[in-house]
Parts: sequence; structure tokens; C-alpha cells
Amino acid sequence: MSHSAKAPALRMGIPIPNSKLGMWLFLGTEIMFFTAFIGSYIVLRLGSRGWPTDYNDTHINVFLGGVNTFVLIVSSYCVVVAHEAMALKNFARARSFLWVTLILAFLFLGIKGVEYKGKIDHDILPGRIPETASQAVKKVSTQLEELVRSRFSRYIAAGVVSFKQPDDILTVANLIREVPSGTKPGVLTNEEFEQWRVSATTDYALFLKWQDLHEHVVAKVSLKYPAAPAQYLDARGQLKAGEKPPEITLDETKAFLAEMKQNPDYGALVSAHVFDPHPIVYGNIFASTYFIMTGFHAIHVIVGMILFIMVLKQGSALNEKWTDWVENSGLYWHFVDLVWIFLFPMLYII
Amino acid sequence: MSDEHHSGHHVNYLTIFFVLCGCTALSVAFDVLQFSKPVTMVLVLAVACAKALCVMMYFMHLKFEGNWKFVLLAPTTILAIGLPLALFPDVGSSYYTSTAPQTGVWSEEIAEYERHHKAETGEQK
Repeated sequence: MSHSAKAPALRMGIPIPNSKLGMWLFLGTEIMFFTAFIGSYIVLRLGSRGWPTDYNDTHINVFLGGVNTFVLIVSSYCVVVAHEAMALKNFARARSFLWVTLILAFLFLGIKGVEYKGKIDHDILPGRIPETASQAVKKVSTQLEELVRSRFSRYIAAGVVSFKQPDDILTVANLIREVPSGTKPGVLTNEEFEQWRVSATTDYALFLKWQDLHEHVVAKVSLKYPAAPAQYLDARGQLKAGEKPPEITLDETKAFLAEMKQNPDYGALVSAHVFDPHPIVYGNIFASTYFIMTGFHAIHVIVGMILFIMVLKQGSALNEKWTDWVENSGLYWHFVDLVWIFLFPMLYII
Repeated sequence: MSDEHHSGHHVNYLTIFFVLCGCTALSVAFDVLQFSKPVTMVLVLAVACAKALCVMMYFMHLKFEGNWKFVLLAPTTILAIGLPLALFPDVGSSYYTSTAPQTGVWSEEIAEYERHHKAETGEQK
């Protein structure tokens, strides 16, 4: 017995293209990926006794966040129109809308870059934020030390001073102190040595200021109180029973740093390398959650851009074979938009 | 503008676009109006859910897809909701230990921090 009429092919599984099924399964994993971050953020935020929300602490710009939300919504609209055009075989229209989407994606990343720059300029980065007054004071001392060490390493690299243990900052400082009155090393010309002599005076003065602050931070005493070992012990010996020396405060550290920044010799150096002390309670956990969520979102934006670039590379050769690709890229892009829809209120508004 | 989808349904994407823009403006307005924090939180998250629904139903065409969407998305939705719920008891255990300076000398440090903060933002000490 034979079948004269062709029976319809038996189709099993879900009635959508395999690529679309794959994309939805992938988006399922992506939902859980971002939910893990968002869930952790909620738990950390509710579990913290404080959270920085003021603009001076977070440099979160609601206006820029709002503009970026608008940019992503427009780009989502463009993608859906591009997909529609692909389905109607209007490939030129599809290309135009995909170009607009790609430009908007660049715009989104540009605005995000401006926001990131604001945070980097103020050192609002995970692990770098002082959360208490004492941490802020210590950070000033640490950054001054980094500056002094980087200045001193130039002398050893250029052969102005020679010492086998460049990390021994006290010995190197003593060698640099001798440079203005010392003899010229053979590797330098007279002109070069003259410049090093001038610089040595400035760098040694900078070292003395850092050492002064460092000693006060280590001894935990006010900048008005002697902190050099001998004088400190002497002053402590004169204290009455139960009396404690005054502690170093954020106010006097600020004044100390402001004075350093006014110095005509090293003021510009200090201004460029040492941040004004600004403690932000729970700032590090804020910065960690902010950067991990927006950073992973930005990576997803870049991946979406690559997907669109691959379509746009076809130029006028774009044809119906790319319809599923555009639909799947569109689904991915809408998901990127979805994530931002939740990140915007949680990070920028609440 | 009205667009005809290839599978037959009819969606005015421009209307959806304007709804999304309106919702974004609403979120910013809730921030500007300065309600109490819990009220703002509920309002902006409600708006975010509405926006997410619009994007999923119309831009991602879930409204017009077959029942496979439930099969595919139910497990991930359950897990996505379950994960924060499973983490939620950790709210009780603070991120910082009890010996961290943020918690150990909380009152002193907070007082100094707030004093400086007010001074920097130009408010009255």
C-alpha cells in the first residue's frame, strides 16, 4: 500500500526556530545572572546600617542615568522596527534602523564613560574609599607616601643617587638631602645635575612634610602635638595621670593638606596625586555593587553592538537569511534594556 | 505609526515607545517630588515592572508567542525569584563585622562624618 498524498511532516518540539529557542534559553540564564547581582545588592543594602545616597558621596547623576534610559528605549524601538523591516524584506530600512541602534549604543557607553570618569576622578572605587575619619586621615598619609616614593625612585633610576635598597625611604631621603651640596655623578651633565639639585630640595621638603604627618598618624596624636619619637616620649612623660594626648582629627588633616597644596614648589604635585580626605560610610560596598552591575551591563551592551556590527557588515548584501539573526539580536538587546530598566531606579533613584 | 508584524498581529510600536518614555519621566518625577524613601521605592519599582512588562510583551513579542514561553521561562523565573529570597535572611548578618570601624565606633565616626558632610554641602553646622 502506498500513500498517494503527501502527509504533513511531523514536527516535534517547540514551534520556533532553533536559534530563537537557543536565544531564549540563554536569556533564561542571563535573567538568573543579573538577578544574583540585583539580589545581592538588595541584601547588602538592607543589611548595611548606612548607605551613601548624596551626590557628593556617590557622584550618581540622575539626569545622565535618565538620558541613558531614554537612549536604550529609543534603541529598543529601533531594533524592533529593524526586525519588522527584515520580515517585510525591506532591508535598506532595516539597515538604517540598525545603524541608529548602533550609534545609540555608542552614545550609551559614552555617557556611562562620563559617569565612570566622575567616580574615578574622585577615587570612588571599590577598596579605595575611606569610610571613617581615621581611614581618611590615613589615606592622605598613604597617598603622600606613594608620591614621595615615586619622586625618590626617579633619582635612583637616573643614577643621581645610588642605593641597593630603594624601599628604605629614610636612607634614600638622606642621600637626596645631600644632592644639592654633593658632587656630580659621572653619568649626568652639568645642566642635568643642576636640575636634579633644584628638584632634590623640593622633594626633600615634600618628604619632611609627609614624615611629619606619618609620625602623627602612627602615634595617633594631633598635628599640634609633638610626634617625632624623642619629643613624643618627652611630651607623654609630662602628662598627668589619666590624661591623654589629643588625637589627630580630619579637620586638621584637611588644613594640613590644603596648606601643602598651596606650596609653590610641590603644591601642584600634591594636588595631582593626593585626594582631599572625604570619608564615605559604606562607600566601598556601594562602589562594588555599582561597578559590578553597571560594568556587566556595559559588557552586555558591547556584545549587542558586536551582534549588530556583524549584520551591518553585510551592507547592501543583507538578505532574508539574516532575519532570524536580527530577531535574536533584538531579543538580546531588549533584555539589555530590561536590565537597565531595573538598574536605573535601584542605583540612581532609590 | 503602525507596524504590521510578519506573524499577523498588529502592534503600534511607537505607542509602546511613548509609554516607556512616559514611565521613565514618571520615575524621575518620583525622585524630584521627594516622597518618603519606602514610598519612592515602591513607586519607582512599580513603574520599572510596568516598563519591563511592556518591553517583554510587545518588543519581545511574548504576548503573541505560544505556550512554550511559559515552559521556557517558568523555571528561570522561579529560580530568579528564589535566589534573592534565599539570600534575604543574610540581611540580618551585616556585611561588616562587629569589630569593623564602621560599626565599632559608629556613633563617633558618624557624627564626625555628618559634621563634615554638612560643612562641605554648605549647610548649617
